[in-house]
Amino acid sequence: MIRTSPQRRGRSVRPAALALAAASLLALAACGTSAGGGGGTAVDSLTETDYYDAAPQNTELPKVLDECGAQVGVKIVHQQVPRAQFMPKLLQEASSRTLPDLALIDNPDLQQLAATGGLVSLSQAGLSTQGLYPSIVAAGSYQGQTYGIAPGVNGLALFYNKDMFTAAGLTAPTTWDELTADAKALTKGSRYGIAFSAVGTEEGSFQFEPFFWTAGADLKNLASPQAVKALTLWKTLVDEGSASKSVVTWTQADINDQFAAGNVAMMVNGPWQLPTLDAKTGLNFGIVPIPVPSASAKPVTPLGGEVWTVGHSNSAREQKAVAVVKCLLSSDRSLEWSKDAGYIPSNQAAAAQLATSDAQLSAFVAEVGTAQARTTELGTGYPKVSEALWNAIQATLAGGKSPQAALAQAQAQATS
Amino acid sequence: MTLSPTARPAAPRDGDHGRSRRPRARRAVNTTIGLLILAVMLFPLYWMVNASFLRPQDLVSRTPTWFPIHGTLAGYRNVFASQGGHLLVSLVVSLGAVAVTLLVAAPAAYGMAKLRAPSRRALLFTLLIAQMIPGIVMANSLYIAADDLRLINSPLALILADSTLCVPFATLILQSFLRGVPDELGEAAAIDGASRLRTFVSVILPVSRNAVITAALFSFLFAWADFLFGVTLTTQDDRAPVTVGIYRFIGAHLTDWNSVMATGVVASIPAAVLLVVAQRHVAAGIGSGAVKD
Amino acid sequence: MTVSRKDAPAHDAAGASTGRAPGSRRPRIAPRWSALAFLLPAWVYVLCFYVYPLLTNVRMGFQDYTVSSFYTGAAPYVGLANYRAVLHSSVFWPTVVNTVLFTVGSLVFQFSIGLALALFFRRVFPLGGVLRSLLLVPWLLPLVVSGTVWRWMFDNDSGVLNQVLLHLHLIGQPVPWLVSTNTSLIAVTLVNIWVGIPFNMVILYGGLQAIPEQVFEAAAIDGATGWQRFTRITLPLLRPVTLVVLTLGLIYTLKAFDLIMIVTQGGPAQSSQTLTTYAYDLSFQELTFGRGAAVGNILILVAILFAFVYLRANREQEGRLR
Repeated sequence: MIRTSPQRRGRSVRPAALALAAASLLALAACGTSAGGGGGTAVDSLTETDYYDAAPQNTELPKVLDECGAQVGVKIVHQQVPRAQFMPKLLQEASSRTLPDLALIDNPDLQQLAATGGLVSLSQAGLSTQGLYPSIVAAGSYQGQTYGIAPGVNGLALFYNKDMFTAAGLTAPTTWDELTADAKALTKGSRYGIAFSAVGTEEGSFQFEPFFWTAGADLKNLASPQAVKALTLWKTLVDEGSASKSVVTWTQADINDQFAAGNVAMMVNGPWQLPTLDAKTGLNFGIVPIPVPSASAKPVTPLGGEVWTVGHSNSAREQKAVAVVKCLLSSDRSLEWSKDAGYIPSNQAAAAQLATSDAQLSAFVAEVGTAQARTTELGTGYPKVSEALWNAIQATLAGGKSPQAALAQAQAQATS
Repeated sequence: MTLSPTARPAAPRDGDHGRSRRPRARRAVNTTIGLLILAVMLFPLYWMVNASFLRPQDLVSRTPTWFPIHGTLAGYRNVFASQGGHLLVSLVVSLGAVAVTLLVAAPAAYGMAKLRAPSRRALLFTLLIAQMIPGIVMANSLYIAADDLRLINSPLALILADSTLCVPFATLILQSFLRGVPDELGEAAAIDGASRLRTFVSVILPVSRNAVITAALFSFLFAWADFLFGVTLTTQDDRAPVTVGIYRFIGAHLTDWNSVMATGVVASIPAAVLLVVAQRHVAAGIGSGAVKD
Repeated sequence: MTVSRKDAPAHDAAGASTGRAPGSRRPRIAPRWSALAFLLPAWVYVLCFYVYPLLTNVRMGFQDYTVSSFYTGAAPYVGLANYRAVLHSSVFWPTVVNTVLFTVGSLVFQFSIGLALALFFRRVFPLGGVLRSLLLVPWLLPLVVSGTVWRWMFDNDSGVLNQVLLHLHLIGQPVPWLVSTNTSLIAVTLVNIWVGIPFNMVILYGGLQAIPEQVFEAAAIDGATGWQRFTRITLPLLRPVTLVVLTLGLIYTLKAFDLIMIVTQGGPAQSSQTLTTYAYDLSFQELTFGRGAAVGNILILVAILFAFVYLRANREQEGRLR
């Protein structure tokens, strides 16, 4: 028969130890701080959320926020959330009615968030959008009111490796035919002629939209002949071997890596890559607008960039937040931000000024003038259509489907 | 199938089957095969460590670099500088989650396995279903609750959240083990006048030490690996666990792959050390009760 | 540890024997209800943490839940409309097929390779313990890192996997692992198998350790071959452990999300989409949370089914052991 032997008595210490552990856990609870819960009348801190995790934006933004915060007299608590968690986070905060005072939202998402009613109407709060590009103002509007204003915008252009072009005796392409020919000629050995991102996220749609819209297609009908023409261009580039099959997995950051390493001669990318590319020694590159189907067509690129929004809380906080946004949008702040972060100022005059002082940006500035916001045609219905579009692109490039079939299925999916 | 009454009930043994009489050569062959298996299974790890030493241009080169001859330690320097605090948070949260898990799972396992408590099948069923709740749904509920209780950024919130990943598994493993513990132990204590609680604490737990260690170990690993709750329940970077820290680090150093891979190596080390140290108990713990004579 | 058997009653008498020696009964307050007290912390825990999210998800499946609903709380009930929409979607059934292939493929190989490794490591040889511990590493690495490493290894042009296979003349052309809709599911399944082998190995190894050596020796004396020993002794004795491993493996594989998102994002063109990633896609890409919840509920129904199977098998065991 087993007796609880004397040495086992030591084990009775265990419940006490557990209780101690539980007590210290509760003590840890005292370490909890909720950053900026609802405030009283004296507002000394505001909450801010964004998804800038890459350099240089992730170091520049807090600096700008601190400057504007100091100007308005508040401390801004900065929260950076990974891109994939950004929307879930905002939704959780919406559920608990603790939307951040300041949120930097990707412009296609603005419509959905404005529709919730949780954002402060900036036009009603007295912020003016005079002097800003009309497309960017439109992207930040919902039912006639402005809910988000962008300090800077970006777009897409064609980067090309000058040394490789000179060696091959070519000049930068301006039409699709030239693009296809140049890409083919420059594909040699382990080097590809061109790279673009056909990845299965919003980036893929973003990269495709210049070609899509310039061909004359529109997002309300994904299966139009013009759309097929645009997708056929991409398919041709991959089929001919001018673009790697891996474009369906490469993000814009990946193709930037490839371009910087000299593995591709051309790439479709945006101005935010300039800081890293400029830092790379030995890379001699140029930027031209994205080629168009024929010489007479006008380029239309999608508008990238984030907009500042203010979440509803109480009138004291909202006032301070609006004041901070005003500071962030002032033209010299906007210029400073753009230079540091690689964006184009949303203020037309500032952008023109930048184009003359910085030759690399002139192609981008030229394109922003005719850029189109992604939500212009579809409003809150954009995410679904965008997904159908990138699935069609991938089905064609990776699944062997014909552009017609893939886009027909996409249109069916988008309208289901 | 029954075993003879003189068969020893399962006792922790760590691979010793009295085979020392095997010839040396045979053992050497086994070691070689073992190393080969390791080489194949751990090849991605080797690739990761290799990459953590490479320069950025080597990483995208078309010909893979097998040995980081031109290696750099910059990645590791970056990691230690930035992730130290996160490693500490992960440690505190994981240990806390283990404590909460054991407090909930051990008594429940005992009640299910030995005491045949009412509602035990319903509880087991619910725990199995609970694991299928989509993570994001759990995260949403936890966020709202934590926000109401002003526990955002608190380690306690993370501890409780991470424990939800561990409790079902721990309960399952513990109750499976405890069914193998002979009833006589509990009865003997009862005859001696011990209450159920006393029996549990003084008799059953010591006997099931290996299973408890196993459950604790796996709970630690599940809690350590959590990302979703970490990113949901913290808004300040210095309160985030290392999984979130790595994610942010990767985002910030997208072109700095050697730093990224270095973080992977560094983030795995604590768990690896723990596992190597505790593996003796793990082997003994899981097996001992699963088979009954 | 030996147990004196003088007063022990017949242990494996089927039925209600609680094993208490006759004559030693003491008056107790409804013993079964004091046993319930042991389950109480767990029940409280379950009700606090699991029941609310579960019910929320079930309810959301019947609502038209949009981004606005998060803020305003307003989400009109639409009955079975979400379920109908999901079941009629052109993506749903291919996703189900993907899920089945992914799960079965993962489990079969994780289990069999895990078992083979567990059997191998029963042998005693130098470094055996160390090697066995090191084999746990795939499971320990953060998925964001191992997923990224595998993405590189799978790269069509510069990935080391294709390089090795070409070099060994096992393939003539590079395999388009992640860039073709035909092979993407195979790629994620491979990664999942790799990640899951250690878990299976550890648990099965423990189960093997518990089988006393005398059993095998007796069988060998009786003239059983190695294969017979394996199928007639090892496998049956491993059944309880196998049950735990397969049930948990099934649940964890169905839930696999980060892995697929990191390696392929469910693509290209949704060819590696499983029900879990599809639910996330419906919620956070198309922003139709009601439909996402509906798919999540379908997964929960599948889990319920397997939970019944597990309980049934568990009860059989319980009956046999008591």
